[in-house]
Amino acid sequence: MIVPFSHVLVLSGILFVLGVFCAVARRNLIMIILGIEIMLNAAAIAFIGASLRRQDLDGQTFVLFILAVAATEVSVGLAIIVYAFRRTGSFDPGNFNLMK
Amino acid sequence: MQMTGGHITVSIVTLATLAPFAAFLVILLFMRSRPRLSAGLSIGAVILSFACSVLLLILHRAGGEAVQYTSRWMVAGNIEVPFGYLIDPLSLLMLVIVATICLLVQVYSLGYMAGDPGFSRYYAFMSLFSWAMMSLTVSPTLFQLYIFWELVGLSSYLLIGFWYEKFSATQAGKKAFVMTRTGDTAFFIGLLLIFLHLGNIGILQLNGPEAKALSPNVITLAALLIFGGIVGKSAQFPLMTWLPDAMEGPTPVSALLHSATMVAAGVYLFARLFPFFSLSPTAMSIFLGIGTISMLLAATMAMVSRDIKKVWAYSTISQLGFMIMALGAGGYFAGVFHLTTHAGFKALLFLCSGVFIHHFHTNDIFELGGLGGRALKVPMICLAIAAAALSGIPPLSGYFSKEAIIGTLAALENPVWLAAGLAGIFLTAYYAFRVIFLLLLPKPGETAQAPPSPSPTHVSLDGGGNSEYRFMAWPLIVLAGVTVVLGLLENSLRDFLVGPHALGAVAGDEMHARAGYLALGLAASGVVLAWFEFGRHGSSRIGFVERIPVLARLFAERWYLDHFYRLLVGEVIDKGISYLCYKNDNKVIDGSIDALCAGTVEGGRITALLNSCMIQYRLLTIFAVLVFLALYFSF
Amino acid sequence: MHYATFPFLSAILLSCVAGMSAIVFIPEDRKTLIKWVSAVFSGITLVLSLCLFFAYDRNTGGLQFVERLSWIPQLGIQYLNGVDGFSLPNLLLTGIVFFTGVLTMWELEHRVKEFYALYFLLVTGVFGLFMSLDLFFIFVWYDVSLFPMYLLIAIWGTTRKEYGAMKLTLYLLAGSALILPAIVLLYVKSGLGTFDLTALLKPGLFSADQQKLAFILLYLGFGVLAGLWPFHTWSPVGHVAAPTGVSMVHAGVLMKIGAFGVLRLAIMLCPLGWRYWAELMAVLATIGIVYGALTALRQTDLKYVIGYSSVSHMGVVGLGLSTMTAEGLDGAVFQMFAHGIMTALLFSSVGYIYDRTHTKLIPELGGLSRIMPVASGYFIVAALAGMGVPGLANFWGELVVFISAFKVYPVRGIAAVLALVITALFMLRVIQRTFYGPENHHRRGKGARQKILDPRFEPEISSLSQRHQDVERKTRQLQRKVYGKKLVGADQKHHREGAGE
Repeated sequence: MIVPFSHVLVLSGILFVLGVFCAVARRNLIMIILGIEIMLNAAAIAFIGASLRRQDLDGQTFVLFILAVAATEVSVGLAIIVYAFRRTGSFDPGNFNLMK
Repeated sequence: MQMTGGHITVSIVTLATLAPFAAFLVILLFMRSRPRLSAGLSIGAVILSFACSVLLLILHRAGGEAVQYTSRWMVAGNIEVPFGYLIDPLSLLMLVIVATICLLVQVYSLGYMAGDPGFSRYYAFMSLFSWAMMSLTVSPTLFQLYIFWELVGLSSYLLIGFWYEKFSATQAGKKAFVMTRTGDTAFFIGLLLIFLHLGNIGILQLNGPEAKALSPNVITLAALLIFGGIVGKSAQFPLMTWLPDAMEGPTPVSALLHSATMVAAGVYLFARLFPFFSLSPTAMSIFLGIGTISMLLAATMAMVSRDIKKVWAYSTISQLGFMIMALGAGGYFAGVFHLTTHAGFKALLFLCSGVFIHHFHTNDIFELGGLGGRALKVPMICLAIAAAALSGIPPLSGYFSKEAIIGTLAALENPVWLAAGLAGIFLTAYYAFRVIFLLLLPKPGETAQAPPSPSPTHVSLDGGGNSEYRFMAWPLIVLAGVTVVLGLLENSLRDFLVGPHALGAVAGDEMHARAGYLALGLAASGVVLAWFEFGRHGSSRIGFVERIPVLARLFAERWYLDHFYRLLVGEVIDKGISYLCYKNDNKVIDGSIDALCAGTVEGGRITALLNSCMIQYRLLTIFAVLVFLALYFSF
Repeated sequence: MHYATFPFLSAILLSCVAGMSAIVFIPEDRKTLIKWVSAVFSGITLVLSLCLFFAYDRNTGGLQFVERLSWIPQLGIQYLNGVDGFSLPNLLLTGIVFFTGVLTMWELEHRVKEFYALYFLLVTGVFGLFMSLDLFFIFVWYDVSLFPMYLLIAIWGTTRKEYGAMKLTLYLLAGSALILPAIVLLYVKSGLGTFDLTALLKPGLFSADQQKLAFILLYLGFGVLAGLWPFHTWSPVGHVAAPTGVSMVHAGVLMKIGAFGVLRLAIMLCPLGWRYWAELMAVLATIGIVYGALTALRQTDLKYVIGYSSVSHMGVVGLGLSTMTAEGLDGAVFQMFAHGIMTALLFSSVGYIYDRTHTKLIPELGGLSRIMPVASGYFIVAALAGMGVPGLANFWGELVVFISAFKVYPVRGIAAVLALVITALFMLRVIQRTFYGPENHHRRGKGARQKILDPRFEPEISSLSQRHQDVERKTRQLQRKVYGKKLVGADQKHHREGAGE
């Protein structure tokens, strides 16, 4: 392996945390989806590193699945956001608190 | 159920005590609106009681063995509250006294209370009192005595506050009840103490050898506690200020309850338990001291009072103190004899004053004199006789009983008691005759007011054919006769009560005689001083006490005892402790509960934040939980 | 244990339930019919409880009139009723208070049907608890009697009713939250798999620690209901807020359930726990007695006074229960009965006064004895009983309790006896301010506070009968103005006759 597996995991972890921050600490619905995307990609990097380490293709196959799911989820999420924006005119998640 | 002695006796006693009770119930329930019938029923019942008590006296005139009858009234575990009677010379004597005075006062009330809207209620309460007082005198156990003791207090409350529209009357009734209640709790605790050690014991056994088994400390403590009840009921120091206030009640009530019978119940209890109390010399000396203090304090208060009823009220306290002195010094017969004579002349004093008050509508001595009080002949003469008896002028009854007491006091080692007793006699004569002279010989121009507005119960000045006046006059004459005659019965009474050999301490003859002459001399000088200051022409009408304003104020304010009590109840209990409890309830207990509730609500609000609609917080929560679980399961 | 030939106990329960059902089916505008039906059914329960009281064989004692029906055998729950010397007077008390409570609320106009239906439900729960011998059912009856209280106070109550109802319900629910674990503990640890009280009475079933734990839980849980200090503050508030009939049941019977629960469950099932906690019981009870009396001294609302005096008297019951003597228990049960009757009478009188003067505040009342002599008489008799005047009911209960308490806890006994003086003080003060004295001409009602003339500054009266007549005349004038001719006419006749010739 060119890169030690631990380095890959660290990269993945940092990316994941960045994704969490993006999802949680921004007052924008689209940013939440971005954050989720980043988290998904972080997980994908971890899978690829693991597949390289084990010298088989299972991990990389799973990454393809992840990418597919991510795409689906983004499209559905964006559809919801568009609808929500049409209803309330804002992207601020704080405005969606009718169930408090 | 045990009984020693005749069945007849028991049935007569039952009749005597229960007749007034039946009258009370019937009047209260059915006859509120029929005053004549109520009065008739009540007086009928009392006549029956009187006849029964006289019959009993005749049956048992030889003295001797006590008759006791008890039946189990209430049983709980090993607590037995029996109900029964104890007939011995002392209880018989007291029973006769009570019945007589009840009868005379109820007849008198026919005149005094005529026209009062609460007439039936008055007689109902009078019957209640008669029942309670008579049952008290024949109680065989302390428990039963305590029960009727409280009931007597209750009827006192009801009768003092009889004219309940008047705030001061209800205030006085409440004060009387609460003060006597305080004494009664001490009595009750003493009772419990005896019960703790000796079980369900009756009075006879308490006076007998069984009580000697107790340790001296227990006897002293029990005696002191029971004496607490006596202090309350007989208005001794320090629980003495309720009695003058109790004069708010109608005058016949004052005559019956607060001079002759109810307040005498304390002294009666003392006499009843005399052998038991004698087991503790410490207690007896304390009793002697308290009696002396009460006697002197009350006498000083009587010297400056302007209200005729209050003078006699203070006098009652003083004379009761005198009786307690006698009993505390060991003079059983002297104390009881004075109790008997005092009942007679004190009731007479009150009843005579009542006629004056009823006619002139004022209690003030100076006003009564100024309005021509002396013109009512029968009351004036009887008043003079009674006052003379009170002062101890021979040959009236008071002289003999006071002489007996002085003899007892003279037998004591410490001469201070005798000195106090003699001082008391001097003061008594002084204040008694102060009233007489103020009434009899008014100064012209003194509080001359318009003649009194004709009351609906107008009484002709020389006591003519008016029936009301006759109702009021006859009891006066009877009592005056008793006062004159009773003294001569001393020896037969002594034989009846204590047997041919005198019990208790009496001084040697020479000492006795000397003390007796000294007492007579002091009484006479008291009368002379009163004459000098109030009676003779051109007298200044200012007592020697009033020339010293500090003293006069002290006596008039009842030695500031009332102020002390007002402070105690008002500030300490009412505003202090009670307020603390109330604030505790509101702020502390409720406050902590409210804080708990508020905390719960706030906690809920915080937890709700987790579920609040900020999507990102939810995300964070999920993330945190997952991390935690991952860490937990990996380590 | 004697099984019943005629199921008195179930008959009592049945008549309550039947009454409630009957009321439910009557249309709500037939108010008089509802009231009559209620009176009839409550009368039936009174008659039944009286028969029960006299049919109980005193010489044999023990549990009698036992009825047993298996309900859920797998869990050991039975429908088990029985009566013994402790519950007998309480059943009679409930019957009396129920019947008189129904009559007292006769002038109710607002939502009569729901009121009486809930009232019947409440009393069903109370009766059930007194007669049940199955732990599970005891708990069920406790809660059955609890929730109608909330509705009754919240809808028909007066002063601060929502607060009072909420506070009462939450406190009592907290109490039941303490009772349930204790019952479950007893059920599980006995190993018998039954809730039957008679079976659980077998000695040696529970270890000392279990008994101590169960006892303190049961004592605190039921004690909340019995007005145990310091968990008593719901009681005065609840009394004040509740309508008259509910107050009567509340103070007269509901608080007795608490004490009875302590007796029936805690004391009978956990004697070792009783011995361990008896000192604490005595301390709390004595504090309750003195504290209740002292706090009552400061109150200005009639019902608050009675509420705090109830706390004080229930302290006497608690003191009797803590003495661990037969006399103490006897005295406690007698005091329960006596206090129940007395307090029901007090509340009934207060309700009567409130209906006519529209105020319960003492500064606004005065001189009522002139206007309503009979009602005043009842209140005064009840107040005298509350003070422990011999001859009236409370005296005997208090006497026995104080004697037995003094034997075991001298100091606490003395403190309790001293509280008698304070009780006399506040009771007499209430009587004086409310019934005696001159009439309070500034009375407006509806809780409005007006300036009151201080009667203490009246000049000393020397001519008594003259002034008496003046007062009479003025009172009659006021009566005519305020109360109309009819009442005055009747009163005048009374006074004319009473005034004599």
